[in-house]
Amino acid sequence: MGNKQTIFTDEQLDAYQDCTFFTRKEILRLHGRYHELAPNMVPMDYKRDPCVTLPMQLIVNMPELKENPFKERIVQAFSEDGEGNLSFNDFVDMFSVLSETAPRELKAIYAFKIYDFNTDNFICKSDLEQTLNKLTKEELTEEEVTLVCEKVIDEADMDADGKLGFPDFENMISKAPDFLSTFHIRI
Amino acid sequence: MAGKVVWGPEPTKQVWGSSLGRHSPSLFLQLPSNQTLRFRGNKAEAWGAALEGGIESSVVPQDCVVGEEEEEDQRPLKELPLCLEEKRRLRFLQEQAASRLSGWRLWRVEKQRTLRHLRSQAGTVMSYVVMWKSTLRHIEGHFGTGIQSYFNFLRFLVLMNFVASLLVVGFVIAPNAAFEALHLNWTGRPNNVSANASCVHYDPSAHGLVSYFSYIMDLLSGKGFMELTYLFYGYYQNSAVDFASFSYNVPLAYLLTAFFYLLFCLIWIVQRSVYCLKHSLVSEDASLGSYSNKVFAGWDFGLMQHSAVQLKHKSIRYELRMDLEEEALRRRLAERTTRQRATLYILRGLLNLLVLSLLGGGFFCIYLATSYSQWLLGSADSPVKGQYILELLVAYLPSIVITVANLLIPIIFGVIVQLEKYPLSFEIKITLLRNVFLRLASLVVLLISLWSQITCSGDPKDSNCKDCGYSHLFPCWETSVGQEMYKLLIFDLLIMLLVMLFVEFPRKILVTYLPSCPLLKLWGQQEFMVPSNVLDLVYGQTVCWTGALFCPLLPVLNTLKYIMIFYLKKLTLYANCRPAERTFRASSSNFFFLLVLLMGLTISCVPALYSMFVLPPSKSCGPFRGEPTMWNTVSNAISELPLTAQEFLEFVGSLAFAVPLFLLLSILMFYLMALAGSYSSMVKGLKGQLRLEGQDKLFLVKQISELSQ
Repeated sequence: MGNKQTIFTDEQLDAYQDCTFFTRKEILRLHGRYHELAPNMVPMDYKRDPCVTLPMQLIVNMPELKENPFKERIVQAFSEDGEGNLSFNDFVDMFSVLSETAPRELKAIYAFKIYDFNTDNFICKSDLEQTLNKLTKEELTEEEVTLVCEKVIDEADMDADGKLGFPDFENMISKAPDFLSTFHIRI
Repeated sequence: MAGKVVWGPEPTKQVWGSSLGRHSPSLFLQLPSNQTLRFRGNKAEAWGAALEGGIESSVVPQDCVVGEEEEEDQRPLKELPLCLEEKRRLRFLQEQAASRLSGWRLWRVEKQRTLRHLRSQAGTVMSYVVMWKSTLRHIEGHFGTGIQSYFNFLRFLVLMNFVASLLVVGFVIAPNAAFEALHLNWTGRPNNVSANASCVHYDPSAHGLVSYFSYIMDLLSGKGFMELTYLFYGYYQNSAVDFASFSYNVPLAYLLTAFFYLLFCLIWIVQRSVYCLKHSLVSEDASLGSYSNKVFAGWDFGLMQHSAVQLKHKSIRYELRMDLEEEALRRRLAERTTRQRATLYILRGLLNLLVLSLLGGGFFCIYLATSYSQWLLGSADSPVKGQYILELLVAYLPSIVITVANLLIPIIFGVIVQLEKYPLSFEIKITLLRNVFLRLASLVVLLISLWSQITCSGDPKDSNCKDCGYSHLFPCWETSVGQEMYKLLIFDLLIMLLVMLFVEFPRKILVTYLPSCPLLKLWGQQEFMVPSNVLDLVYGQTVCWTGALFCPLLPVLNTLKYIMIFYLKKLTLYANCRPAERTFRASSSNFFFLLVLLMGLTISCVPALYSMFVLPPSKSCGPFRGEPTMWNTVSNAISELPLTAQEFLEFVGSLAFAVPLFLLLSILMFYLMALAGSYSSMVKGLKGQLRLEGQDKLFLVKQISELSQ
């Protein structure tokens, strides 16, 4: 059905289908969304894999991400150059991981990256404080923030190093029943 | 700093972490356990810490290229945490490797690929077929997953009722209608039991001049002309139909359909609750994960609307504050004196007695109402005959009393539970439990009062019952039971409609147009309460299950009712409700809803099984007239099977099979419990070991960095 598209080769669409959780139709739709963010910069012909990246400002203004307190972190976690510029591949990858069918383990890896604000491969106390402030729009008192951070580290830190490494985080996520349903963006 | 080494389960975490953080970040990052995280990109300045350690970016991909021996363990490409270019490169390498294979392995790889494609295509097709998908997505985006779980549950009930109604229509109603339309031969069954003349007389149709109004009354109360339709048990014939050398045994079909309907619902619910359980991953330490769950899985990434997002911020703040307060309260409570504790326990005991007495009072009222209503309608010279509205009121009296009890008593429970001073999480649980008990038990009381009237409280020597085996005031008692369930169903829908029109819409209008009135500000805008709405649904479904044996069209009516409820609730959600302050945890509650539904199914199975096996069917109506019990039809049908089948079925039904099976299942259950216990102690041991390993690692890294300086 619908073999008349001229944006990708069939080979490319097959590759996208194998490498992400999207179908051909959804990939074409995603390309449409990517294109409408910057119609002048994004070519309609992707057959030769052009190197086009869009800056973070354009991506975080999408309606799906606009109200998300972690929007900058999400885009940075999926950006290849680390500054938040997303190519179409990164764009598709991002929504693929955040889609409904992505498994828990994969989502946990990227969630860890998102919540690791200082990118030191650990979620330390300052990362937690920043997460909390973003969640509550900085309306909790200092004392409350400290208390909650201490409690989170108490609950999740298994190897007792005072911060959450990825094994701690993954173990905690596997016990968090809401994670799969909340870490999910529809596009 | 170096001299202080603290061994033990809880070292001073801050000391370790801060001192090491400055000296050797790169050493930590070179550890194998940190390579499960793969950073992206080689040009990233921001990821400088990772690059310091010189992590090779090609470590992971090489392992994933398909080797000759590793095909089975290969994870699908989609699930690898690599960027898309790497995945495409891997895919290319895989295809190259696959093209080098030959013979059987090549065939197997290709078959796997085709299977994967088929599966994904089937998934796409199935997603188109899903009912109301866009509505549920919209609700999730605007109101969150808690409220969406209610609509999800409702959709599941609609589907279940729809398939069940197909079953019933296909095996009971359609054959009967077809046979009647085709005027086929009905071979009547011989009446085995010589019946008393008074028991066989049954004529529900009205005689003489009937006003048009009485038809409407009959439609609403299920009496009169309604009793002579396929809706109720009384209309079906107790004969078989022969055509083209095939004999369709109508009573047998009726009984087996009801039986398999209940069985089918049981299997579907159990399958779905296992699925929900796997997804919600109930662990032994469920309560301990609450803070990390709220921080890391608390933000709903799917929320898009600005107002919903503001509310979500507010609700997260509220929840965290509530938890901290509860913690502080718990600490204060632990410091209570014995005297305070004693007074509290006495108070709690008294309040629980009050709760029980309220429940008892409610049940007694329901019992009285049912007896009064049946007596008033059944006796020939009752004062309400001829006055239609009064008659209708009396007919609906049990439903009215049940609804009033279910509306008022939970409010009183809410007040009582505030006085009992339980911690918040326990308060929610106990309120929910009490409401569930109230709802399901009120239905049980209704059934018991019906039973006591029909069987003269189980006394076969009573003056009313000695002629026919059941009370002669009920010439067709199954139809009466079916009528009660039918009335409950209609009244439930009616009440929902009335509450929506006369309470929710006016509340919204008043709150919007008179914002300054203090009373209205206190009352506030309507909140969509998920637990009470779910209990309503479970109650309705239990009524449908209970009445299915006596009123075969009830699943069809229930499907229509639930479809209407879906649209009504959607309307009231969008028009009247604001999202709740305290978010409803969807995942852990899905399993709870299904558990309550299962309880309802268990309760509704009891009347059906009791009527099938114990009670004598009416002699004047229905497909089982003339049989001593309904199950007799099945025994007769079995006796017509070949001998080996008969012996096999007899064996399966006998004690010689049941007792060993029961013993085997008990042994299996004890074994699984012991296994679970041993696993949980193993997990505790491993946790302690992990802690010690973490300390070892920190100590060793510190030593290494000191030695290397």
